[in-house]
Amino acid sequence: MSLSKPTWNHFGSHHPFPDKQNFDLYRDVPSFPFSLPAFPFAMNALSADEMERFQRLSNTYQPEVQGPAVSTKQASHSIALDYSNADPTLAAKTNALALSHPECRIMRGDGNCGWRAVAFGYFETLFALRDPLRIQTETARIKSLNALLDQIGLADHIYEIFVDATEDILKRILDAIQSGVQDESFLVDAFNEGYSSDAVITHFRLLTSAWIKLNPGRYIPFLPMPVDQYCSTRIDPVKTEIDEVGLQALIHGVIEGSGFGVEILYLDRSEGDAVTPHQLTTSCPNGATLRLLYRPGHYDILYQADSNLNVAPIVNLQYGLSSDYTSSWDSATLGFDMNSSLMAIPNLMQDSSFGMGAPMSPMPSVSPAPPSPFRMSPQQEMYQSPMQSHAPISSLPVSPHPPPPAPSSAPPPMTSLPSRTSDGPQIRLNPLVMKPNLSRSLPVTTPFKNSPYNQAHFQNSDFEPIHWEPHGR
Amino acid sequence: MGSVKRITKELAELTQSPPEGITVELAEEGDVYNWKIHMEGPEGSPYHKGNFLVKLSLPTEYPFKPPTVSFVTKIYHPNVTNDDKGSMCLGMLRADEWKPSSKIAAVLQFARQLLSEPMPDDAVEGRIAEQYKNDRPRYEEVAREWTRKHA
Repeated sequence: MSLSKPTWNHFGSHHPFPDKQNFDLYRDVPSFPFSLPAFPFAMNALSADEMERFQRLSNTYQPEVQGPAVSTKQASHSIALDYSNADPTLAAKTNALALSHPECRIMRGDGNCGWRAVAFGYFETLFALRDPLRIQTETARIKSLNALLDQIGLADHIYEIFVDATEDILKRILDAIQSGVQDESFLVDAFNEGYSSDAVITHFRLLTSAWIKLNPGRYIPFLPMPVDQYCSTRIDPVKTEIDEVGLQALIHGVIEGSGFGVEILYLDRSEGDAVTPHQLTTSCPNGATLRLLYRPGHYDILYQADSNLNVAPIVNLQYGLSSDYTSSWDSATLGFDMNSSLMAIPNLMQDSSFGMGAPMSPMPSVSPAPPSPFRMSPQQEMYQSPMQSHAPISSLPVSPHPPPPAPSSAPPPMTSLPSRTSDGPQIRLNPLVMKPNLSRSLPVTTPFKNSPYNQAHFQNSDFEPIHWEPHGR
Repeated sequence: MGSVKRITKELAELTQSPPEGITVELAEEGDVYNWKIHMEGPEGSPYHKGNFLVKLSLPTEYPFKPPTVSFVTKIYHPNVTNDDKGSMCLGMLRADEWKPSSKIAAVLQFARQLLSEPMPDDAVEGRIAEQYKNDRPRYEEVAREWTRKHA
């Protein structure tokens, strides 16, 4: 056994130090050789009983888990930092992830992380939609799931406190929306209180377990054991990690009915330079989506970069507030095409800090803009829609600050200021455009000079200095 | 707190229709977390005709943590510590196997079942387990004698 061999022997026998240096080494650590004989002695003296005891201790050792059950939102850059010295694949993937999904929420790794991530994501999504009617329909839907628990023969006095806890959270969300609370810290706090969080997670576990038992055909082919045994060893016990079958069943049985999408991004060492996304829900391309980052054995929540950019209905709402801009718009002076994709860019007109901070990028997946941007838009569509029309609602969450964009959507460099012939929108509106008397002011701002997304910035990977072109192009 | 609500309902159910050979009461009026159980030794086991006093304590985190079960009456059993604690901790009672949907009634039935069928492979008293496996008559004799003396 290598432990019994004093390591200081290396200095003497294997390394050809010059004599004097070697000698000095020993003199500097006079006590070192003396303490060593105790070492092999101690190893031999351990009785079989003690060895067994140590083995048991080591088998049952559980490192103390740290950190809050649900963290505050933080930059995904921290995940990339964790992997900066790891396998290059992981480093590349986490770097790309920090750009595409700039924010995340870390779950405590205590065996409940997957359950907690889905549960928290579900409530947070509901809160971000800020639709009281929807909270009510969800509350009713969740209550109706009690039928599953009854069907598998669970007594209501056994499960009612878990359902109460979920309803309590839903009520807190409703209250928060109605009293105009903007930030979700009350939800984070609720999930960091032991009782609420445990009860909600247990509720979701029980529903999942019941769902699997009532729909065995969907899951049996993927289970290594009979359904009942699977549920009682992998789903029901406290603090058992969720596995893939469990996650599928949780989504099918509990979450899908809300109309939310669920996407898992797998971080592993498979080929490629981005995490592998995996859509767990069958439908809901336009509804709110909760996104989880999966690293083997652990789940966290992710927030996508453009998540607050495709809130298309809000744009329409802005136009809808006043329908009398026609006279003050002078399309000749504005000098840009009022094409629909441009007009559909949300928030462009309403928030100057937003307009300046977000780079111009072609919008994917915005809902179709009205034929004329000045048309009164149907405002009610968004806020009073019944459950089935989730389409106009963006994915989550709506954060007050625009996240940095993905490099792929970087703005054109400064050298290509308004050029009407090039592809895609290349100009940026500023809020002054909306002021009738200032409509002749230049509706264009340059891409921000000091950003690395500017090609003319020295940190840009495709750096190219600005060339002065006296006659334009 | 939800736990008190649930414990109260479970207690009511257990008092109204107690499982076979088990009677339940609170150790102290007003404290739902500590229960006093009287458990009859099951027929066919060496504990038959004994009446065992068992203490059941519910943690404040119940039902997210399991109750603890301990024999106040001395008992000769491989799964019960042979000390003044008399604790029993295995199977569904272990913290990592505990299910919040398990009832206290099930816990008590499990404990009584263990008197009929000890689990020597999960023993806390290795010597008794050894004896149970290799010299069953001697084990039964001692267990019966202890039952007569203490229970």
